[in-house]
Amino acid sequence: MLGMFKAMRTTLRHLPRKPITVQYPEERPALPERSRGLFRVVIDPVSGEPRCRACTLCETNCPVQVIRVNYESKYELPLPNAARVADARIDLQPPVDMKLLKPVLDDWREHGTGLIAVMQNTQEQYGYLPRAAICEISTQTGVSLSQIYGVASFYNQFRLSPIGKYVIDVCHGTACHVAGAPLITAALEEELGVDEGKTTKDMLFTLSSVACMGACSQAPVMRIGDETYGNLTPDRTRKIIRDAMAKVGAVKG
Amino acid sequence: MSDEHTTPTHDDTPQPATAPASDAPSDDRGEAQTGAGADARGETQAGAGADARGETRNVKVEPAGDGRFKVSVCAGTACVFAGSMAVHDAFVEEVKAAGLEDKVDVSIIGCHGLCSQSPVVVCSDDSFYGGLKPTDVAAVVEQHLKGGAPVEKLLYKDPATGEAVRDWHEIGFYKQQTRIALRNVGVIDPESLEECLARGGYEAARTCLTEKTPEWIIQHVTDSGVRGRGGAGFPTGVKWEFAHKSPGAEKYIICNADEGDPGAFMDCSILEGDPHAVIEGLLIGSYAIGAHEGYVYVRAEYPLAVKRLTQAIADAEARGFLGDDCFGSGWRFHLHIKLGAGAFVCGEETALIASIEGKRGMPRTRPPYPAVSGLWGKPTNINNVETLANIAWIINNGAEAYAALGAERSRGTKAFSLAGKIVNGGLAEVPMGSTLRHIIFDVGGGIKDGREFKAVQLGGPSGGCLPASLLDTPIDYESLAATGAIVGSGGMVVVDDQTCMVDLARFFLQFTQRESCGKCVPCRLGTKRMLEVLDRIMAGDGREEDLDLLEELSHYIIDGTLCALGGTAPNPVLTTLKYFREEYEAHVREKRCPAGKCKALITYYIDPEACTGCTLCAKKCPTNVISGEKKQPHVIDVAGCIKCDTCRQVCKFDAVKIRSGIAQTAEV
Ligand SMILES: Cc1cc2nc3c(=O)[nH]c(=O)nc-3n(C[C@H](O)[C@H](O)[C@H](O)COP(=O)(O)O)c2cc1C
Ligand code: SF4
Ligand code: SF4
Ligand code: SF4
Ligand code: FES
Ligand code: FES
Repeated sequence: MLGMFKAMRTTLRHLPRKPITVQYPEERPALPERSRGLFRVVIDPVSGEPRCRACTLCETNCPVQVIRVNYESKYELPLPNAARVADARIDLQPPVDMKLLKPVLDDWREHGTGLIAVMQNTQEQYGYLPRAAICEISTQTGVSLSQIYGVASFYNQFRLSPIGKYVIDVCHGTACHVAGAPLITAALEEELGVDEGKTTKDMLFTLSSVACMGACSQAPVMRIGDETYGNLTPDRTRKIIRDAMAKVGAVKG
Repeated sequence: MSDEHTTPTHDDTPQPATAPASDAPSDDRGEAQTGAGADARGETQAGAGADARGETRNVKVEPAGDGRFKVSVCAGTACVFAGSMAVHDAFVEEVKAAGLEDKVDVSIIGCHGLCSQSPVVVCSDDSFYGGLKPTDVAAVVEQHLKGGAPVEKLLYKDPATGEAVRDWHEIGFYKQQTRIALRNVGVIDPESLEECLARGGYEAARTCLTEKTPEWIIQHVTDSGVRGRGGAGFPTGVKWEFAHKSPGAEKYIICNADEGDPGAFMDCSILEGDPHAVIEGLLIGSYAIGAHEGYVYVRAEYPLAVKRLTQAIADAEARGFLGDDCFGSGWRFHLHIKLGAGAFVCGEETALIASIEGKRGMPRTRPPYPAVSGLWGKPTNINNVETLANIAWIINNGAEAYAALGAERSRGTKAFSLAGKIVNGGLAEVPMGSTLRHIIFDVGGGIKDGREFKAVQLGGPSGGCLPASLLDTPIDYESLAATGAIVGSGGMVVVDDQTCMVDLARFFLQFTQRESCGKCVPCRLGTKRMLEVLDRIMAGDGREEDLDLLEELSHYIIDGTLCALGGTAPNPVLTTLKYFREEYEAHVREKRCPAGKCKALITYYIDPEACTGCTLCAKKCPTNVISGEKKQPHVIDVAGCIKCDTCRQVCKFDAVKIRSGIAQTAEV
């Protein structure tokens, strides 16, 4: 009985007030500028075509998994055009020997190694993932280019541009960080004249970093090619890299 | 809600109503520290534990099967870095030259444990050589192998007394350990199946596959109380039972060897030192849950581990331990290796599964749990390397022996990798419930160079930093969670007063920021914003309200993320803010870095009293900003100094000092 009165009171109290809800879709509330509302595919005003290229990144990214991308190839460029674009893209990179890819794809056909393994093997052959090789993998395996690029850009291991002949891996694990790894990288950056993650212009050295190599008691550590160095100091690092550079005739920058 | 968040776990596998992990942790914690817990620990050391230790202490390098004297050179990663392969080759050569080949066998072992002494060489008479150089080998061969007397001056010296230790079992570091998961690591040649078999390898798997039922195994594993060593601490037996009961003819078992914590190397060492223990664990697990296919997901950054594992699998297949008819029992089990591609988040189980399927390694919502729908949509069980390495021991020695070790709800032992500013860096396995103090000071031998202990970082990017006042915290899942840190995978990095806690927190946050898969906005952008705040503080532009802002952002991130990477990412910041707030305040209010690390807040200077004018620093300075006459005190021109720390490291007289505070050009 009392409960009913309470409910009535709430109802009555609200009667004279302005309604909180609106009668959507007849009425539309003024939403804040940054409200995104429901998502839909954006139509390009110029061509009148959707801008979505069905790369499926939104599908993989959505935290609540409410996006499904069902697509068919509607946007195929006229064949000569598409071929020209693809060729132009491939021409941007130094030419690669496609024969190296054969054992990789054979292995995939025989043993059904997964996409990531195929890409790892490809990178083993070339040192990076050349666009031409990726196109070939896509054609042979039937996995779309956008998906291969999606995977390639996700994992730290994959590189999409050529790297130097010698890769310098400086460990930036916890123990090495505490023991001064940032100073080591700084010294190398100065000696090589390139930033971390970059390659010298003569394509000899690439300066990169890794997390713990499992040799923490030797911290800080680094690896140049197959050579390993432990207990580094900035001073020793400079000496090591100067010697290495002199040996192969590398120049700074 | 809040209760869940104060208990940061690496993961949350299905939690059945009966799972011990789902009890409110706060209730038992007090008890664990006072009453029953203490008893359990006491008993552990006296009673059953001693037996187990007796067994596990028996990690002798035994003479080679043919009775030859054995010289084992450590070929773990740290020792290889320190040049152990050259030492190995020198031994082979010298032994050959001395004509001792029929008396001496030179072989390799996985990480022996005391990596700070690397390269390590142990002999079958229990002598332990640390820091051997190839040039020392001739002396050892001459005097020890020929003459029979160890070379005193090259043996390990007790740091306290300076005396050579004759039997390495007496070294403090080893004396305090109980090795179960590491039972064969550093004992056998990891590339030889024979040595593994000689130490009882694959016996447990044979027994299980030919005589026992899956139910018996699961019961046994449940009774042992072993919990997942990958971070979450979920009871392994319960997990197996889920996978076992899950309907479906096709199931998978996966070993998670994607050790992503950037300061941990136990899983690496187990795979490098005793790959067969993991294979055996997987074999038993496959039979228990009914999986015919298995995967080991290994980081590609561990080439040595991959190589040894590949060979171990091939050896086991050749012997008929793996394959279509394991041990002639009719059980079919095939094991494959999958290489990770360098993404920390792939340690998370759903991301790991996506990665094996060849997709971007992004976690997904659970349920469905992998036990119901995992790899290729089939029931899948995922276990950590160390968890699996324990299984065979439990089957061989009984669940009771395992449960007798440890404290309260954390049973058995845990392997830790000790690193940082600690005397005995390396691999240690101790019963659960030991205190941090015990591990750091008794096993680890205290802090390097006699410096002051400042903090210990546990659990890597998901864990926290604990100060000296919490050194008596027992190591079990619940007690550590109460402090804000986690057991995690077992990485333990000790830091001294020269480490800036703000910098350390920033280091971990930067790591998680880079490794965030990008699915959740709070994780992807929130960590970035926190990083910017920390950068600001370290650059001397910190604002008074920044510390509260960091805390606020942390809670939003913890609340709003899908997987445990984001959910635990703020832990390093939160714990340092909690226990080392004054350091943050010094950065913000006084614009100085007490530890002398943050480049923007320090100035280098030379103490004129101490400087002898040796000119060394002036020669080494890359920017040539040090000047002074020979034999006269030198000076640094602060304006040009890039703070590379070279001068301080090269000065033999400790004359180069760091002043904490922004440079005042007037004072030099
Ligand atoms: C971001 C993240 C990283 C992880 N990294 C690892 C790892 O490197 N190794 C591991 O064994 N477990 C890792 N885990 C935990 C796994 O998700 C999972 O709990 C574990 O492999 C289960 O095995 P266990 O029950 O034997 O512990 C990680 C979890 C998260 C959320
Ligand atoms: S919390 Fe971070 S790592 Fe985990 S799913 Fe979300 S964005 Fe990815
Ligand atoms: S190295 Fe040390 S002692 Fe020598 S000149 Fe420099 S500050 Fe002085
Ligand atoms: S810290 Fe580096 S740049 Fe500065 S004075 Fe010392 S050696 Fe020179
Ligand atoms: S942190 Fe560098 S090797 Fe472990
Ligand atoms: S790697 Fe040799 S002792 Fe650890």
